[in-house]
Amino acid sequence: MAKRILLVDDAPIIRLMIKDILVECGGYEIVAEGATGKEALDLYKQLKPDLVTMDIVMPEMDGIQALEEILKFDPKAKVVMVTAIDQRESLMKAIRLGATDYIVKPFEADRVMSAVQKALGE
Amino acid sequence: MADQEIDRALKLVANLSIDKASQVLSKMIKAGAKIELEGVSLEDVTKATERVMQSDTGDVVGAFVDLVGDLPFKFLFYVDANDSLTLTDLILRRELGTTKKFDVYVTSTVQELGNILASAVTNVFASDFQIKMKPTPPIVVHDYASTIFGEYIMEAAAEQDEILMIESMFRVVRLNVKCRMFLLPKGDAQKELAAIVGKI
Repeated sequence: MAKRILLVDDAPIIRLMIKDILVECGGYEIVAEGATGKEALDLYKQLKPDLVTMDIVMPEMDGIQALEEILKFDPKAKVVMVTAIDQRESLMKAIRLGATDYIVKPFEADRVMSAVQKALGE
Repeated sequence: MADQEIDRALKLVANLSIDKASQVLSKMIKAGAKIELEGVSLEDVTKATERVMQSDTGDVVGAFVDLVGDLPFKFLFYVDANDSLTLTDLILRRELGTTKKFDVYVTSTVQELGNILASAVTNVFASDFQIKMKPTPPIVVHDYASTIFGEYIMEAAAEQDEILMIESMFRVVRLNVKCRMFLLPKGDAQKELAAIVGKI
């Protein structure tokens, strides 16, 4: 059965890049896409995906806050953070909060797959 | 410290920043990108605007990013409007020419390039000079280069007649895609930057 993925990033191009990588690999279903932390939280509650890829810098509610809220709702949630190169502090905070793994932009397909598979225990 | 030495130190900061930006851009578009430092200069606001108007006459797609933290800067990245279609194809690993019109992915490409390049710059400031800065979400604009540049320097121009500008030009190897990147210190950041680089 395909693993259900929620993609969250305010940049549609990044969502499309990750989607292309997952679709090409096979075995994943993109259940929804969100552009803000608030959307991520709402979509998570509604869809309960197997995994979330979450950008950090987003308008309205950032990825760190969204991660916190998602983990409050579901402590077993699997969230892979997607971040630009300079966000080391935010990234460490996300890992401390319970993010499963992270991907640094710009990324290679292999790194995306390795983070997703590791997070899903594949 | 003599002005010449400060100038040399500023160029070092600028070169480190654009080297990092060049690496991330090449990785993102999967093509060699060479970024050249055009200059670090204290320039008259009017002359700087005229120079940009003369060198970039067409419409461009750009991303403004505010870098906030210890040393606030304004960052601007822009690319010729037609070349933004090529960059979109490169990023999406599509055959060149696939993207024919401005859509959400073209805007998003410039937005993300602005974000990643600005992040590369703040990374250099943080790792090499212990100056903590972070980028805010980019604002994408599509207009004439002179209009965008005018908006970019408006705040600085209201405060001073001369601005310190770090300017660089990117060339994507073999494709003749040209982009520009600017860094402009905000408020007292110019003095603080000079003081910091004076200690290098």
